Amino acid sequence: MFIQLFIKECRQTAKSLIYWLIVLVLIFDYASQLGSTEIMPEPKKGQKEYGYKQSEDKNIIMKMTLGQLLEEYYRENYSTYPIGFYKNVTLDEKEDERIGEIIEETTGISGRAAAEKAVSDWYAGQERTGGENGGMMIMRNMEAEPAAGLTYERFEELMDEADDILGGGSSYGESCRGGNASVPMTYEDAMEEYRELTVKDHLTGGYARLFSDYMVVFLGILPVFLAVTRGLRDKRAGMQELIYTRRCSSAVIILSRYLAMLVMLVVPVLVISVLPLSHCLKYASAAGIQADAFAYVKYTFGWLLPTIMIVTSVGMVLTELTDTALAVLVQGAWWFVSVFAGVGSLSGGMYGWNLVPRHNTELNWSVYHENFTQLAANRILYAVLAVILAVFTAFIYSQRRKGRYRFTWKGIGRSKKQI
Amino acid sequence: MSTTIKIRGLNQYYGKKQALKDVNLTIETGMFGLLGRNGAGKTTLMKVLATLLPKSEGQVSVCGKNIARAQEIRRITGYLPQEFSMYPNMSVYEAMDYLGVLSGLSRPQRKERIPELLKRVNLQYDKRKKVKALSGGMKRRLGIAQAILHDPKVLIVDEPTAGLDPEERVRFRNLLCEIAEERIVILSTHIVGDIEATCENIAVLDAGEIIYTGTVSELTRMAEGRVFQTEISKKELEELKKQCIVTSMLTLGNNVMVRFLAEEKPFAGAKSCEAGVEDAYMYLMQERGGEDVCSYSSL
Repeated sequence: MFIQLFIKECRQTAKSLIYWLIVLVLIFDYASQLGSTEIMPEPKKGQKEYGYKQSEDKNIIMKMTLGQLLEEYYRENYSTYPIGFYKNVTLDEKEDERIGEIIEETTGISGRAAAEKAVSDWYAGQERTGGENGGMMIMRNMEAEPAAGLTYERFEELMDEADDILGGGSSYGESCRGGNASVPMTYEDAMEEYRELTVKDHLTGGYARLFSDYMVVFLGILPVFLAVTRGLRDKRAGMQELIYTRRCSSAVIILSRYLAMLVMLVVPVLVISVLPLSHCLKYASAAGIQADAFAYVKYTFGWLLPTIMIVTSVGMVLTELTDTALAVLVQGAWWFVSVFAGVGSLSGGMYGWNLVPRHNTELNWSVYHENFTQLAANRILYAVLAVILAVFTAFIYSQRRKGRYRFTWKGIGRSKKQI
Repeated sequence: MSTTIKIRGLNQYYGKKQALKDVNLTIETGMFGLLGRNGAGKTTLMKVLATLLPKSEGQVSVCGKNIARAQEIRRITGYLPQEFSMYPNMSVYEAMDYLGVLSGLSRPQRKERIPELLKRVNLQYDKRKKVKALSGGMKRRLGIAQAILHDPKVLIVDEPTAGLDPEERVRFRNLLCEIAEERIVILSTHIVGDIEATCENIAVLDAGEIIYTGTVSELTRMAEGRVFQTEISKKELEELKKQCIVTSMLTLGNNVMVRFLAEEKPFAGAKSCEAGVEDAYMYLMQERGGEDVCSYSSL
């Protein structure tokens, strides 16, 4: 009975409009974010540049953070991401004055005129250097020399204050300061990174992680729509009582629906992944790299499936509990918080217990490797929680079939309508 | 296995409101009618029998099985709810097939049974039609087909003829009678004509209580000698309505042919006539509810 019902549920899902909208969003996500991804070539000695890496040198962090603050102070315009989205901030006179004081204390540069001079001098110097070298000019971000005697602790204190003045989410907050210090890589650095990608990560591993990073953002919300519409379809179609009075057990009904939704959501992800996989395999074959042909499958099941599972479970349980689309609101809020929480750790490593763990680069294998245990714990937790919620949904469903549970906004109890 | 439904001392509550009061019934194979006004508790009783509501108090057994054993009861009962509908975008066959799987029928069983049932309810040429494209009567017939898909011993049908045209109603009643030859069919309705045309045994439910249980002919006998007919002017009609229960009226120019209930012949021009089920039902309700019955004079 389970298999036959599962097949029927898959067919029902395949005929629903919401399902195809989800598939379209996933295709759009892939095409817009990863469609034109080029495979990283092997670094060659004598290249003009080898890219950038983040520095942990406190002096560099201070220089580059202060440079950015100085430049934004001069332009009287600050870029922030307070809830994960871009916001342009302009300060009032008092706040502007305080930022000026912070700059003076940290760099010794006093007033907007002095800031303007410092910024012009920096870029004029850049142009000169670029002109001397000839060819394409690469502008480096503004740097400002810290004032004599400025300790890193005091720097942190003042940058936290500046972040508060700007309303949070600025480049000066604790979680973003490290990201300001990007320094050019050497050939050796670049080769080490390339070796990690091609040898330790078998090329496809890194790109499958990047693929998962983009997909997980949408899969942290989209499955809830499928689960809610499936749950409400019985009610809208007046099918609830017809199904309730059948001999099939609640566990079989709910779990076949659940499994059908999971399969129908995983299939398009796997199909889409064939494109980057074939791209990687072609490159690997030409470059003599031993690629892992199953990397995308592994990441789809290991990284994405737990998110699909928990989001679908939340959708099912709340729909069965309330007979409303409340799950969309709840999941929407959870998704929003999760995406925002992941903004500060896009390059991976800080997976924590985030519903949508981020790793927005094909590189950083070592960081991924070091934090793999945390990521695995995260994914296992959500998968287990999802199964518990699915079983709980079956329990709620069985109670509803017997008329023992019915949700009303006035209170949870038996319906008083059906006399 | 016995094919009897036994209900003893059934009470049903919704919070503080009592929907069924000490209901006692024994239902044997064949058509059984449950008659009562809207809100009398018929749907509640149907839902208890269909395991959609847990009983509050009392004993209920279906074919010897305790109603609390829901899974076993569901194997032997079929249910056509009052507001019947199916997934609108499914074809007739697909909808039947889906419910067949939920009823535990194997693929070969479904392949054999579904065409057979669709033929029986005269929908064999509509199996590819979407459910949303069916007329009200076709939907009701499909409802019956889905309810007997797993060949249940008991069929529970709640207000099945509401909204059907006369032709469909007759076809539907005949279908129910055919089905009842081999099983218990409980027909719940507030339409007396449906009961009169199909049931031998009935129960009348009012405000959650069984106020009559027995055969249709016994019920009819209760009204014998109390049904009269006369032709009066429209002016006299108002006066008659105040004194008697008028069960039907037919306007004839300035006069009205009136059928009414009275304990004895009220005036010389009134002719005694043969009592029907509707007359008997109205009489029963009058006996019980007094003034309430007046609201049913348009039945």
